[in-house]
Amino acid sequence: MHLKHSAIHPLLKRIPGATVTITLVVWAIVQVYPILFMFLTSVKTDKQILNAPFGLPDPLRFENYAIVWQGDRVAQPFSAFFINSFIITFGSLVILLFVAGLAGYSLARGRFPGNAATQQGFLLTLAVPVHVLIIPMYFFMGDLGLRNSHFGMMLVYATLGLPFTIILMRAYFLSFPRELEESALLDGCSRFGAFIRVVAPVSRGAIASMAIINISWIWSELLFALVLLDQQGVRTLPLAVAGYRPASMTSESVLGQQFAIMSLTALPLFVFYFLFQQQIRKGMTAGALR
Amino acid sequence: MTFRRNLIWYLFLAPAVIMLLMFMAYPLIQSLELAFYEWNGLRPREYVALENFEDLFDDRFFWGALRHTLIFAVFSTLGTVGIGLLLAMAISRRVRGAALYRFIFYLPVMLPMAVTAALWVRMYEQNFGMLNVMLRSVGLAHLEGTWISSRETALGSVIAVAVWQFSGFPMIILLAGIENIPEDLHEAASLDGISEVQRIWYLTLPLIRPVLISIGVLQFIFSLKVFDLVWVMTLGGPAESTSVLGTFLYKEAFRKQEYGYASAVAVVMFAVIFTVTYVYQRLMRVESVEF
Repeated sequence: MHLKHSAIHPLLKRIPGATVTITLVVWAIVQVYPILFMFLTSVKTDKQILNAPFGLPDPLRFENYAIVWQGDRVAQPFSAFFINSFIITFGSLVILLFVAGLAGYSLARGRFPGNAATQQGFLLTLAVPVHVLIIPMYFFMGDLGLRNSHFGMMLVYATLGLPFTIILMRAYFLSFPRELEESALLDGCSRFGAFIRVVAPVSRGAIASMAIINISWIWSELLFALVLLDQQGVRTLPLAVAGYRPASMTSESVLGQQFAIMSLTALPLFVFYFLFQQQIRKGMTAGALR
Repeated sequence: MTFRRNLIWYLFLAPAVIMLLMFMAYPLIQSLELAFYEWNGLRPREYVALENFEDLFDDRFFWGALRHTLIFAVFSTLGTVGIGLLLAMAISRRVRGAALYRFIFYLPVMLPMAVTAALWVRMYEQNFGMLNVMLRSVGLAHLEGTWISSRETALGSVIAVAVWQFSGFPMIILLAGIENIPEDLHEAASLDGISEVQRIWYLTLPLIRPVLISIGVLQFIFSLKVFDLVWVMTLGGPAESTSVLGTFLYKEAFRKQEYGYASAVAVVMFAVIFTVTYVYQRLMRVESVEF
């Protein structure tokens, strides 16, 4: 340790400031440009894309979006994928939040035998990689008639989200004031009634946070969708993106449409990020334990 | 009597437990069992004891997939956490536009991985892909690459995409760690007249070491599970040079209908990832979240 003897040349002292700025700007460009490129390319004609790949779109063409939305000879209407994704994400969240809310509340409030063991069990399920489940799931969901089914997907996604959502909900309910529910119980509410009418409405902030943590992975999930949704009509957006895969860029005449599909898949999550960036980043720090 | 009093709590817990038993515990057990059978999904399954594992041991494609998975996990972890740390330290100096940088660096994390992969397939394309066109236009044509379409560069190119997408994630967490360091420590350090580099080396890094290790392990576990990126970008090719455990398992099961053999792969994956995660959970206390 020669902390005291560090004589620094005055010029050297200015270097850190400049390097920091340059590093940040360069990396910001590296991060943003490909995304910008995706959106810009999606509003160009194929001719423009090939002749001036880095030029600004001139004129702006939204017909790529119109074509993929309504469908063309090659692909089924993209609107169908969008609606499937929307239904599945929404349904998964409703099931997940309701089930995890009840369970988290039970673990936080109930002093029953098996409470600690159940929590340990949930922690263990966090460590299970989903790939291990995929083969038996394919046959099991088939037997239940839940393959190629929106409801089946909702159950699967809700289950995959349960362990860490329950753990976070429990942590939240531990700090939830007891007085509120106790007065509801005195008024003759059942436990369940108190939960639905008093606890849940007051906790909507926490419930919204849980929704925020879960939306992006459900919207983006590929592996289970790939295995469990093998019929055209039920497929989700990530499958549409993965499926619109050209053999080679040169032989394709639908370049703009490919970028339109990617953009449309990413757009809802970006809007969502614009709206809730604080909560999303905060939630990620917490959700990191998943 | 206690049971009746507690009945309501068990009922509240029941849906979660039933769902986890049905869609997690049961498939898990099935998977462990199936690894000891040979089965093509149609004929009755046949018990083969450890044969699947013996075959795995002799399968150079399995070893390849395992090696690629580890290489992917190690380098994407080093890349994301390394860049994340640099960015976090840079932003924590209260640079102008810190909020904007934070916003931008997390943006790619929000992209669905299938979109990231599909986008980079187009970027890496040899003739018209953005990367090569850009290199050509700035006079660096000799650096033009074949990227994901040749065996030598494919895995590295996929790792680069993972680093591109996810470095914002460790950044956010490390930044929170750095900002938790009490202000007076920094002041004391600057009064002592030590340089920026020394302050980082002797003050910041030791103090955020727990966070650094924690996010490193998390990123490593996350990377071991890689599937989407590889599947959409290369399908494990060319010539299996980017094949990872996830894609190897998928192909054995759903392309070749070797469900028993694929389950043996699943068991290996489970053993590796479960052990790492479990040890991690024991070492770190799972923290609660603030709202």
